[in-house]
Amino acid sequence: MLRPPRPISRRRFLQGAAAAAVAAALPRGARALTPDAMLQIGHVQHGGNWNPRPTALRRLGWELGRRTSIEPAADAVPVRLDRPGLHRHPMLYLAGSGGLPPFSEAERAALRRHLMYGGFLLVDSADASDGTGFDAAVRRELAQVLPASPLQPVAREHVLHKTFYLLDRQGGRVLVKPWVEAQAIDGRLAVVYSQNDLGGAWARSELGDWEYPCTPGGEAQREAAFRTGVNLAMYALCTDYKDDAVHLPFILRRRS
Amino acid sequence: MDGGTFNAWRLTALTPLPAWALALLGLAALASIALAWRGLAGEARRARKAALVALRALAAVLALALLAEPALELLQTARVRNRFAVLVDASRSMAFPLEPGGPSRAAAAGAFLRDHRAELERLADRVDLEWYGFGGEVAPVDPAQAVRGLEPAAGRTDLLGALEAVTSGAGASSRRLAGALVVSDGADNAALADGLSGATRARLRALGVPVSAVAVGRSAPRDLAVERVAVDDFAFVRNTVTVEATLRARGLEAQDVRVVLRREGAVVAQATVRLEPGKERYSVPLSFAPDQTGTFVFTVAAPVLPGEAVTENNQRSFVLRVIRDRVRVLMVAGRPSWDVRFLRGLLKQDPNVDLVSFFILRTNADQPGPQEDLSLIPFPVAEIFGEQLRTFDAVLFVDFAYGPYRGLEIDRYLPNLRDYVRGGGALAMVGGEQSFGDGRYGQTPLAEVLPVAPLDGTSEAEGEFRPRLTAEGKRHPVTALAPGEAPNEAAWASLPPVTAVNLTRALPPGAGASVLLEAPAVSVGGRAAPLVAVREVGQGRTLAVATDATWRWGFLAAEGGQGNRAYLRFWNGALRWLVRDPSLGPLQVEPDAPSVEPGAPVGLTVTARGPDWGPAAGKKVSADLVSEDGRTVAHGEAVAGEDGTARIELVPPGPGAYRVVSRAEGVADPASAAVAVRGAGPEDADAAPRPELLQAVAEATGGAYSALPGGDLPDLALADPEVVEIGRRKAVPIWDRWWTLAGLAAVLTAEWVLRRRWGYW
Repeated sequence: MLRPPRPISRRRFLQGAAAAAVAAALPRGARALTPDAMLQIGHVQHGGNWNPRPTALRRLGWELGRRTSIEPAADAVPVRLDRPGLHRHPMLYLAGSGGLPPFSEAERAALRRHLMYGGFLLVDSADASDGTGFDAAVRRELAQVLPASPLQPVAREHVLHKTFYLLDRQGGRVLVKPWVEAQAIDGRLAVVYSQNDLGGAWARSELGDWEYPCTPGGEAQREAAFRTGVNLAMYALCTDYKDDAVHLPFILRRRS
Repeated sequence: MDGGTFNAWRLTALTPLPAWALALLGLAALASIALAWRGLAGEARRARKAALVALRALAAVLALALLAEPALELLQTARVRNRFAVLVDASRSMAFPLEPGGPSRAAAAGAFLRDHRAELERLADRVDLEWYGFGGEVAPVDPAQAVRGLEPAAGRTDLLGALEAVTSGAGASSRRLAGALVVSDGADNAALADGLSGATRARLRALGVPVSAVAVGRSAPRDLAVERVAVDDFAFVRNTVTVEATLRARGLEAQDVRVVLRREGAVVAQATVRLEPGKERYSVPLSFAPDQTGTFVFTVAAPVLPGEAVTENNQRSFVLRVIRDRVRVLMVAGRPSWDVRFLRGLLKQDPNVDLVSFFILRTNADQPGPQEDLSLIPFPVAEIFGEQLRTFDAVLFVDFAYGPYRGLEIDRYLPNLRDYVRGGGALAMVGGEQSFGDGRYGQTPLAEVLPVAPLDGTSEAEGEFRPRLTAEGKRHPVTALAPGEAPNEAAWASLPPVTAVNLTRALPPGAGASVLLEAPAVSVGGRAAPLVAVREVGQGRTLAVATDATWRWGFLAAEGGQGNRAYLRFWNGALRWLVRDPSLGPLQVEPDAPSVEPGAPVGLTVTARGPDWGPAAGKKVSADLVSEDGRTVAHGEAVAGEDGTARIELVPPGPGAYRVVSRAEGVADPASAAVAVRGAGPEDADAAPRPELLQAVAEATGGAYSALPGGDLPDLALADPEVVEIGRRKAVPIWDRWWTLAGLAAVLTAEWVLRRRWGYW
């Protein structure tokens, strides 16, 4: 729960107050959930620029609450891989822009254990790099965390593309790759990596302005980014549930 | 070297030359004769031609004799008397009448041997006569006893085995067998059960002995039999299993017979078979779907018809273990959450679980956008809570409220769910802000079967709460994370605390419920709030887990290096208990074998646990053998040892199917098992005489055959009556006689002289 203290400008304070008023007016779920029952994403702090889109996860959470029965926490929680408490957050988010110093062996081991026991990591590249910058650095790290599971493009028919929305396109602020990549453990996607700056498409200022334009697809691409985000969260929480419910008919297997 | 001791001789060759060299030399000799013949083609005088060719031939023979080194082998031999075996069938099938209403086959065989004993003993001047009785084994018998008729007692008939045993010297003799006479009904049920095959024919020929046979009994007795039952050792509950029974009818007129399949007295399947004259075997498929898991004795039975020769073979029992194929679990989750995610992952990974899950992914209040962009399906309430409910072994409600889904009217199905539990189903309610009292289950029909009383209108207590085992929880299989009380408590103490507790109240004693785990820091009416509770209600079982944070026992515990074993154990144990995994009962009884031979005792191991789930050491346990008609036919008692186990042996009164019912002091429910005592052995199953088999045996071995009644002693065939054993031998060369060489020289000289004279050179 440690948040680096940030100086708050008068303008930001006003923006925050306005957002709070909007939230109070929204018809949210009446009953409070315990923190463990909510989806609270652990935002991984690393040695590089770990939080390039500070408002992105809050907006994703807001959209999850609006669109689905997932109850998201108000905001993500910054976590350090080598500090206790990592496993309070089965879903982790690792973003970055530019290079990132190598993880320590303890950090790699902790992340590996988290993923092996069922955790989920979403990696989001904010700098539109391909083979350089954040892309090069994070590929290097992921290969060391799960050396037996190389990053592979996720096929169009994969359950990830139908956990909630039927997705036929990728979203993001940019479109470096028309697919996401993933590392699988025993058939379960443990790490999903998007090079398309999902966070950039999600980011929205407290006053309600989208912080970045989406190119080349514009607002449709932003909507696709949210749908991708919803499906990723659904995948983290339900994994391949849609594989059984959709493919099996309702009356599954008759006996005798 | 006294030649006088040799009494036999034979011609042999002493040459060291190999056979092919001798053959080449023979060809060369023939060639030289042929050349001589050709050279004389122009000779007009026949006498001259014949003389020259004869001389050449004589020379060739003499030359060959020189090279082959012929010798006389002088032998010293001794004559040995051979054996002749009389084999008399002593199997149970010989007790059947020779002809309907006639004397028994055994008596007829005895009378035949008595009538022909003198003829047989006349063989004694050539061979030694040996008398044997055979069934599954072969043993020498006194001829005086054989002619009175052997007692038909053996449970099997193995003719080929008996012949092989006798040929290889069962009579403690290495002397050869010169022949055998078999007196039998031919009702073989070993190697020759299906008649003579290529392999058995070869084995018969390998005996090298002519086997003569006298078949006893001609017509098949009137008999209806369940000859064979083909079924797997285990079947899956609620899945159709087909028992293939083979019915055999002999000497019966055309009629309908009803074949039934019984499970311990109750008919579970039946079929009607139309008997037709001339048709002997009928395949009867009997299908049923077992509705209970466990081990049961099943019996296929055909009616006993008037005048049947054997009634024991009209039914046949077998033991079938009915298991679940996979535990079918329905999981309904009110929203995606980590608790659901990890529980589903655990159940999905278990190969023994067939999981059907439904997650509420959106509610009416959510605005996800156009329906066609969504992969969502409507919640098939009527299907899963209506007609399909009974196909599930367990239903899991995870943070699931029945209320908010107006159009679905799930509350209409709650009575059905309650009845499903009472009728033998299993229900687990797992906590969350839509569960128990938070989901207002307190006034629903489900509250009648839940192991705790939900407090409607309350909301979960929040905070970090450490669970504590109750007295029952210390021994219950659901909360057994480690064997032994202290390790188990240590295992629970080391788990991460839960973060929320649904407020419920423990049920009063007598409701069949026990709280296993509680949260001492949360008080409900002055008592610790139940966290995990179980209940036996009607035929079913329920489990309450009043928190949505059990996932922390796995994923969060794994961060501390403990792995997620405790989580897996807890939920696996809970599921096995819910679906009544038989290995989790407090009393277990296990027979040493599913079936025993008639007269043999049934060995039982009884394992008992006390109400606290510890070994019930020193407690009295008993076991009864209950026959199909519900009578207790044997009873035994023992005292459980330190480990809670006891051994009991019971002797079943006779063939049939028996249920083993075991009770223990302090354990309410008896445990049961099943055991079959083999009844109709192969002898009783098919007692039809098979003269054609004996005839085939006689023909295959070169023996003679006749049949009773009416037949006479056939001409007994004997193999080479005597065998020659070689004691000493001596080879006397023939070729080194001087006249052999001289003869060759003279012949060659004569041919040369004649050729000169007649102008061939």
